[in-house]
Order: sequence, then structure tokens, then C-alpha cells
Amino acid sequence: MIHFERFILENGLRVLFHKEPSTPLAVVNVLYDVGARDENPKQTGFAHLFEHLMFGGSVHIPDFDAPLQAAGGQSNAFTSNDITNYYNVLPAHNLDTALWLESDRMRSLAFTPKSLEVQRQVVIEEFKQRYLNQPYGDAWLQLRPLAYQKHPYRWATIGKNIKHIADATMDDVRAFFQKHYHPSNAILCIVGNFELAEIQQKVAYFFGDIPAQIKVERKLPEEPIQKRLRQKVIVRKVPADSFYYAFQMGKRLDKDYYLADLLSDHIGNEKTGLLFTELQRKKRLVSEITAYITGSIDNGLFVITGKINPKRTLMELDDALWPLLEKYKGKKMSKSALQQLILKLQTAKAFQDQGLLNRAMNLSFFELLGDAALIDKESERFTSIQTADLQTYAQQLFDKNRCALLQIQAQLP
Amino acid sequence: MKQQTNRAVIDRTIAPSLRPVEHISFVAPHTYHLKNGAVLYFRQGLQNDTSKIELHFAAGSVCGDPLSASLCAGLLINGTKQKTAKQIQKALDAVGAYYDVSLSQETTVVTLYALKDQLLKAYRVFHDSLFGASFPQKELNELVHERQQKFMVQQQKVSFLAQRLFQRSLFAGSIYAQQIQLEDFKRADRSAIMAFHQQHYLHGLKKVFLIGDISEEALQAFQVLLNVFESQIAARKAFEWQPEQGATHIEHEGAVQSAVRIGRPLFNKTHPDFCAFSVLNTILGDYFGSRLMSNIREDKGYTYGIGSHIVENSKFGYFVIGTEVGVQTRTATFLEIQKEFERLQNEAISDAELELVKSYLMGQLLKSADGPYAMLDLFANVETIGLDLSFYDHYIAEIKAVDAKKLQELAKQYLNWDQMLIISAG
Repeated sequence: MIHFERFILENGLRVLFHKEPSTPLAVVNVLYDVGARDENPKQTGFAHLFEHLMFGGSVHIPDFDAPLQAAGGQSNAFTSNDITNYYNVLPAHNLDTALWLESDRMRSLAFTPKSLEVQRQVVIEEFKQRYLNQPYGDAWLQLRPLAYQKHPYRWATIGKNIKHIADATMDDVRAFFQKHYHPSNAILCIVGNFELAEIQQKVAYFFGDIPAQIKVERKLPEEPIQKRLRQKVIVRKVPADSFYYAFQMGKRLDKDYYLADLLSDHIGNEKTGLLFTELQRKKRLVSEITAYITGSIDNGLFVITGKINPKRTLMELDDALWPLLEKYKGKKMSKSALQQLILKLQTAKAFQDQGLLNRAMNLSFFELLGDAALIDKESERFTSIQTADLQTYAQQLFDKNRCALLQIQAQLP
Repeated sequence: MKQQTNRAVIDRTIAPSLRPVEHISFVAPHTYHLKNGAVLYFRQGLQNDTSKIELHFAAGSVCGDPLSASLCAGLLINGTKQKTAKQIQKALDAVGAYYDVSLSQETTVVTLYALKDQLLKAYRVFHDSLFGASFPQKELNELVHERQQKFMVQQQKVSFLAQRLFQRSLFAGSIYAQQIQLEDFKRADRSAIMAFHQQHYLHGLKKVFLIGDISEEALQAFQVLLNVFESQIAARKAFEWQPEQGATHIEHEGAVQSAVRIGRPLFNKTHPDFCAFSVLNTILGDYFGSRLMSNIREDKGYTYGIGSHIVENSKFGYFVIGTEVGVQTRTATFLEIQKEFERLQNEAISDAELELVKSYLMGQLLKSADGPYAMLDLFANVETIGLDLSFYDHYIAEIKAVDAKKLQELAKQYLNWDQMLIISAG
């Protein structure tokens, strides 16, 4: 159980407090309900560019990091297709510093042309480092628009075209801030050895005077159920052919998510999983293969990916994979296999929950999903699954018509 | 829109007052000297059900032929005379356990994670696999093949190319410069791997770190099991090397960024300059507000990230700056790094900057000491090089005492551009 308290300021800021008596540290996590899915299709990559700008100084404080470092703390952030999450870890007795910094940048940024210019360059270098200058680096830039045609998951957080970042203007950036960065679009979570009254008083002091704003209702198009296989082949300078089979799955809180999570472990595990034993070891078609889910808030993807062995082909793999999945649909998992999968997930979760920062991020994320208390229901959602549910779900999931297939062919020398 | 209530107006330009970290307590684990000569360190008092056991073997890549070391580590839990790799994995899955084998230059660390009630059960399976590893030829062939494929992918990465050449040049003339080449995989030899296992695992257990609220009986059972290994570790030969200096660039067709590694030999925590140099290194490149980050990322926008680090081995260490920069700005980046070295040599660091970095380092140490797992890691970091936890009290005192004059001297002594090895790829 992760115990927490919740209160909401008049301006709409939702606050979670999790008391951890054993630590001398404090975590201050601020989740903004904005991700790449909220971007204008003509201005993608903004949520992520914005994350960079948030460290460029706010109205009253020229530099975000220096005061936090002087307090012995450290800060960072990440952007996903769903959210933008900022976190600070610092000695507990200097908690005020983090609250002061986070509240000032929630209030308003400084927006200097220099900061925009530099961060634009930094993001372009990040784009090169992660997506262009790595073998297979652009796979997801290609796969997303293949798997999604309506939903904004069709572009990656870095943006669908780096030109969108290059062309961003001060006005665009200001408008983005005004729309998404305000109290009712944020969740603040504090972890540490404090008393609730103390936290309430401090949060009200630092965040209470930030003007309220109406939360913009999100109206994203649902991704329609795919009717036919979509396939794309690209040629790259890579050492081996590689493949991504992406199947449409449900939302984060759907039962689907839990079923898909278990299935991906079951078929994707190294050494014992079906994909490894059949395609890597028995048929020797691939040098690596695995399965995972994207776990996004809106409809996600179940991905089977790997690399082809020399002298074997993408087509041979394709010819072997589909019958294998068909056969899998016909077989019910044993009860003991299901129990093992669940025990492994529970073990992994126990290790994750040890970390203060993880707890703060997870509480914030589940609060965004509707209620931070859902965090303790996760285990139950797994243990309530029956083997028959998994089989039924596998039959629905592994549908060739609901698959997007990206194949990367190695360029011949 | 909701009504705003009137509140005390705050002056947001005034930063909240700060207090320094006054005190950090360092807690040593219980020490058990095993009959075989290895040491078991045990930490309990967790507030959750997690546990892990970590075995350190003198089986790193410099302990013998690096290919055998690497393949041996890769095949450790891959079959015994009685059980196949798959059967072992299934037995570990049945108790929800995970494991990890991590090979470094001097040591191989084998870690098993499980819930505390399952750890001993999991370890029994793990122990038999580790001790009785039979290295089936079939598994070896598969591993060699997978490694070759992965190696070819790595060779496409400029960071991999730069890092490897950096290591070879920095450690030139020593066993630390040995690296596996793609062709080497062809000469993978099962008997050499078995001999490596015999010498460096069965006879090479150095120490064990055990953490979790396990029972007294389980603790004793672990000791009995661990005694099966022997601990006859040959003293390492005197270390000689002829580190190279100067710049080398590797062309990599089609690259849009260059990976850069700049560095020189240095020392580890046992050296009297270590603590003060850590402060200098932080100022230069080891935190977000560092001079390299402020200049090369936050002012020029040449890179997504740049950092400097002190890397330590049991007897020595080295200093390295790493970054990936746009191909067109590589030369400009070199000039800026050189300028930053010179600034540290020629100008005294301001009180404000020095105080900030000192507070930052204290806060980070507090974080590194938070919780039983982190504390055990801190302990392991010093134990490995023959020190104990009192090092950290010394470190705190040294950080508090160091002044701008001393840092300037250290910059003159250790941060000379002409003495650096400069490698780039891309």
C-alpha cells in the first residue's frame, strides 16, 4: 500500500502528499497534463521543446537549476506522447526552494528569444543523436504514422518533422504555455518526512496565488479499428534486416492493457518465450526477438520486434510468425504459467516502489488517470485474470488485419 | 473561473533561505568472513519485501582472455549437466526471480533479485547453475552468433567507435587495452571458457553483498552454499602502460554527429587529490549547471549533452569528457573545451560558484546514502579499493575545506589540453 493524502487548491491545482519517514530527502514531482498527443499536427514536437524551455528561467527567477543545485538538489524532466513530467530531488530541509521554483515557472516563464534559439538547437542535436545517428534510430518515426492514422500518436514526441521545431516562434511558444501550463492542468506530488498540515501551508503559500484557468477539454480523434494489414518497407544502412509488427490494443485502464502486458511477457521472454524458442532457436530465423507494449493512455500498441539472421529473410520470418501466432491462439496457458508471470510482475513492482521518485511519479500518473489510489489496485487487476481471458484476448489481438508492419531492409554494400 | 481569495503577497524574487546538509550517517553492513576466505556483507532492516544477493568474482575482462571472459559471463546461467538453460530459467520464473550478469574490466558481478521469502529458494537454483555451468557447445554457438550480430550493430554507432579507440589509446601497452574484435568470435573455444570458469569463478569469489530481511536460517544457508566456491585470487601484476596523447579522428560515412572522448590517466579515491579534484570535475562538467553544459549546450546549442567524469579502477583511474556534437561544430567544441580548461587555470572560481557546487555535492552524497540499497552501494564503492566508510567523512571535510586557490592549482596540474588524448568519430 502506498498511503497518500490529496487536497485541491482553489485555483484547481491537485496536490498529493506521500509521507516517507525514513528519508532525509524530498521529492517534488509536477506532472502537466500535456503531451505530444495535444499538439497541433502542423506544430509537432512542441510539448518536448517546451520541456526544455521550462529550464530557461521564469519571470522572477533567471535560472531554474542554480538555486536548486545550491539547495543540494537536482532536477530533470521527460515528455511522452501523454504527459510532461518534471521532478526535483533535494534535501528535505530545503523543500521550499523546489516549491518556489516550480510555482514560479507554473505562473509564467521568462521567454527570452535567446533561450528559444538555443533550446531549438539543443533539441535538433537531440533529434540527431537519438533518431538519425543510430542504427534503426528512426524506426518509431516511421512506425507511428503507419500504426496510427487519426490519433495524434501518429507522431513521436520529438515531432514528425524537425522543421516544426526549427520554425517555432515566440508567439507559438507563449500560446502553448498559456493553454497547457496552469494549476488545473497540473498534479503536484510531494514525498518526504513531513506533516500534512505543513505541506498544505507551504503549497498554499507558493502555489495559491497562481491565477486559475479553465482546463481545456481534450477532444482527440479515436483511432479507428484497422481493417487491413498495413505494411511499409524502408531501406537503411544497417547491418541486419529488422521488423516491427505493431498490433492495435486498448487504453491504459482497459482490461486489455493487463492482458496484453501478460501476453507480451509470455511470448516475448528470452529463453522461455514462444518467439525465442521457436523463431530464434528452432527455426534460426532471427538473432533477437521480443515483444512489448507501449502502455500509452489512449489506445496502445503491442509490438513484436527483432532482427533477421544473415542469409534469412524478412519474408521467411513473416511466413513463420503468422502460423505461430495462429497456433498460440488455440492453446490455453496453464494456470501455473499465469501465476509465474504475475509473481514476476509483482517482484519487479516491489523493486520499483522502493524508489521515492518512482513512487512520486506513479502516484501523479495514476491521479491523472483518475485516482492515485488506483496504484494499489494494479496487483488485483492482474490477479483477477483467468487463463481463458488471455486466450480470448490473444485471439482478438493477433489479427493480421489490425497489424502495422514496418520492415527495415539492410542496404546492400 | 474560480474566485481568488486574498493571500499574503509573496515576493517571488527572494529565494527561500537554505540550510546546508549538516550530517550524513554512514552505516556499515555486517561482515562475515567465510571459511573459503571470501567476505559476506549483509544488510537488513528494509521497509519492504525486496532482497538481492550480489556475487563479485575476479573474472573481469582483464583477468584473462577478454573473449573467454565475455562468453563465460554470457553463458553462466545457460545449462548444467542436469538442466538446460530453459529449465533453469523456468525454475527462476517459478519464484519470480530476476538476475543480471555484469562484466567489467576487473570484476564480474552476478546479481539475483527476488522477494525476501523467495531469495534462498531462487539462489539454490541459481547456485547450482553458476557452480555447475557446463557451457553446452550448442548454447556457445548461439551466443557467439548473437554477439557477432550485436557487434555489427554497435559498429554503426559513433559513440561505440570513439569509446573503444579512447580505451585502447589511453591504456596502450597494458592489458586494459585488450578488446574483442569481430573476427575474434570465430575462435571462441569451449575448453578455454571452461578453464576460465574453473579459475575465475569456482576459485575466484571475492565477496558477496546480501541485502533483505531474510531469516537467520536463510543467512546461514547462504553461508554454507557460498563456501562451495574457493577464493584463491592471484595478486594482479604491477600495472604498466604508455598512455597516448593527441588527437585522432575516425571518419564514419553518413554521420550527422561526432562522438567525442577527451581524457587522461588519473587516480582513484586513494589519492590525496581525489576529493578536491572531484570538486573541480563537478565545476567543469559533472552537473547540469557545469561550465561545459552552460557553455556548449546552454549558450551555443552545439550538443544535447556534455559531461566530464572520473572513472575508477582498483588501482588507478582516468578522467574523461564525453559528448556527441554536430559534425560541423566539432572543432568549435574542442576550442570551447580548451578555453574552459584555461579559464579554470587562469581565473579563480568565484565564491558563489564554489559554494553552489559544494552544497550540490553534499546534497548528492545525501541522496547516494538514502536507503539500505544505496548505502550498501556506497560501502561497496570504497571497499573495492581497500577503503572503508570513513572515506566519506574525509570526503565531506575535504569538500568543505577546498578553496579556489587549490582548485586553480589542480587545474594547472591535471587539465592541460596538450596532455589530453582526444578521440572523435563521425
